[in-house]
Amino acid sequence: MMSRPSVLAAGFHAYPPPAFEHVVHHHHPGVSYRPLPTSRPPELPAGYSQQHTGHHARTATQVRMSGPAYMASDEELAQLQKLSQDYQPETTGPLVGERQSTSALAHEYRDADPAYRVKTASLPDKYAFFRTCRGDGHCGWRAIAFTYFEALLRAADVTRLEDEHVRLRSMHNLLNHAGFAEDVYNDFADEAFELLQRLADSLRALDGSADAVLLDAFNDPSVAMSIITYFKLLASAWIQSHPNDYAPFLDYDVKTYCSLNIEAAQCEIDHVGINALAEAVVKPIGFALEVLYLDRSQGQGDEIDTHRFEPTAPNGQPLQSITTMRLLYRPGHYDILYKVEDVASPMLQQQQPVPTQAPLQVNLAGYTDEFVPMSSNMPDIMTMIPGLYPSGIGQRWPSLSYDCDPNPVPQPQITPVSAYAPTPTPAAPVASSHQEYITPVRASHISYHNPPSNHIQLQPPVNIPMHPAPPQPSLSIDRGPAIVERGGPFRPSMYELEPGFGSGQPHSLPFQTSIFRNSHYNTAHFLNPDFQPEEWSPDSEYATGNRGRHKSTSQ
Amino acid sequence: MSTGAKKRIMREYGECMSDTPPGMKITFDEQNMTEWEILLDGPEQSVYAGGHFKLKLTFPNEYPFKPPVVSFKTKIYHPNVSNDDKGSMCLGLLRPEEWKPPNKVVAVLRLIQTLLIEPNPDDAIEPSIANEYKENRKEFDKTAKDWVKRYAK
Repeated sequence: MMSRPSVLAAGFHAYPPPAFEHVVHHHHPGVSYRPLPTSRPPELPAGYSQQHTGHHARTATQVRMSGPAYMASDEELAQLQKLSQDYQPETTGPLVGERQSTSALAHEYRDADPAYRVKTASLPDKYAFFRTCRGDGHCGWRAIAFTYFEALLRAADVTRLEDEHVRLRSMHNLLNHAGFAEDVYNDFADEAFELLQRLADSLRALDGSADAVLLDAFNDPSVAMSIITYFKLLASAWIQSHPNDYAPFLDYDVKTYCSLNIEAAQCEIDHVGINALAEAVVKPIGFALEVLYLDRSQGQGDEIDTHRFEPTAPNGQPLQSITTMRLLYRPGHYDILYKVEDVASPMLQQQQPVPTQAPLQVNLAGYTDEFVPMSSNMPDIMTMIPGLYPSGIGQRWPSLSYDCDPNPVPQPQITPVSAYAPTPTPAAPVASSHQEYITPVRASHISYHNPPSNHIQLQPPVNIPMHPAPPQPSLSIDRGPAIVERGGPFRPSMYELEPGFGSGQPHSLPFQTSIFRNSHYNTAHFLNPDFQPEEWSPDSEYATGNRGRHKSTSQ
Repeated sequence: MSTGAKKRIMREYGECMSDTPPGMKITFDEQNMTEWEILLDGPEQSVYAGGHFKLKLTFPNEYPFKPPVVSFKTKIYHPNVSNDDKGSMCLGLLRPEEWKPPNKVVAVLRLIQTLLIEPNPDDAIEPSIANEYKENRKEFDKTAKDWVKRYAK
């Protein structure tokens, strides 16, 4: 399961098939890479490697054949040789990319040889998404570090992030024991802790920004390298504290191996490194780590070979619900892979902010309670805010009535809301005292027929039972539509009138015009929520001259 | 350069000041903290004794994830220092693939001193000088001392 590092201080580059060399991420020259588990067949193109000898400034390129299974023609070899010489490390693209559909991968490999084509074609069925990591020689470390944080986010549990901080800090004993200077590794650790903190903050804020925070952090070179370095030091300390587990798989002593293949600034992760990170960082929090090998190896049919690091509970039993971190390995490069269900929970998490309505309602209710009396003193300012008073009742009528101005010239006060509320008809010469009564009645009328509209109408209905008002036909006809306006910026509130409120007075409604009677605002209308059939009253029959109008209540 | 890198350079400077390796003087410009000037006395037990060498230590933007760059401003006859106007020294922990982010500048300074006392001809940047060092030590010593008199007084 572990690899034997092949050549000391020598780089190893495996190249993709010539037909699609643009697809696969290349590595920085001088990057050591030895990830091949011993059980794995030779990589594509088998045994082709570039060796860096000794000094980095004096690199000798040497082609050699070692894989018996794959015999390249001279032509192919020449082409590969050319590729190797023209090789440029990929320096563009994000350090960690956006999540995208794996069908893009299948598309990339559509012209590749069958081994790849078959494997990538079957990929989208099982793994819906993937995410690229820049192939700059850190991609494997980066992929694991990123998925680690992402998997932590999947639980959307602040406590878990805080626990992780504590657990990682508790591992600093290992770092001290391995001889790392505390002030130096704290620089790297602090970046990881700060990221945990920021992720916890954005989970607490429920603003759905955690994913973006994580992606930004890993695209900041300094932050990302600090976190990667921290993970490398943890892996190194882990190996050094478990020498018996690792020494049999290493060509040199543990210390030298860690120095060259783990701690070195420019070294791509190998199988030993993955194993150490899985043991030290991933498995203890109950995450599983899966590596899918997309290479030429002949697995079972079109299956992609998978290696899985399975966490176990302290009692040795396998854990039940496991978050799995998945990496996609292509020769010389690691990306991140997802199943559909891996991605589902972050989406749910973004919907969580919805339940936070309660405080909003309380504030609004308190605000309107204060506001209604105040509005008569300063009617203009608040009405400048569009949409605050869709019906305009809160301020318009009080100002009219308190001013006791019998002349229907309220324009100056109304101007700010004119876009919202139709101007009162000047042709209605009404006594101010009447308007005073009308207002509350109309308001209550709205609020119990149209409960969800808005609760500015809280205050006025108090007056309802006291003054059954005389009919004012012309007013009600003209203004009806303006006041009955629905919607508005407010959500339903617990402070709103209950639907049945005021229903004791169904017959006191003075508006018995034909338009009103035929609308559902009439309780006698079958669409009215407080529907009550009209009753014949012998007294009223004779008192009412016109059936459509002036049907005064007679109780 | 990130604030983390600056913080670290400042801290390392503090450490170097409180624990400067003997025979070394570090000049540090607040305005440009990424370039240190180092005055190094030739170690007594080496052929460079009596010389004063000026070095420049440059921190890359990616520090500490890439190694600092060491160059001799004073000409020196040494298998591990390039015999050109760059005077670059690149071996051991200074090599990008061997550099480790936890390494400190103090370790770099000690490495330089050690190399003056005992050159490493097997990892040389100047093969001819390395060859002379191995094959004809007398001639090497003579040239090295001669260069100290000419350039490093």
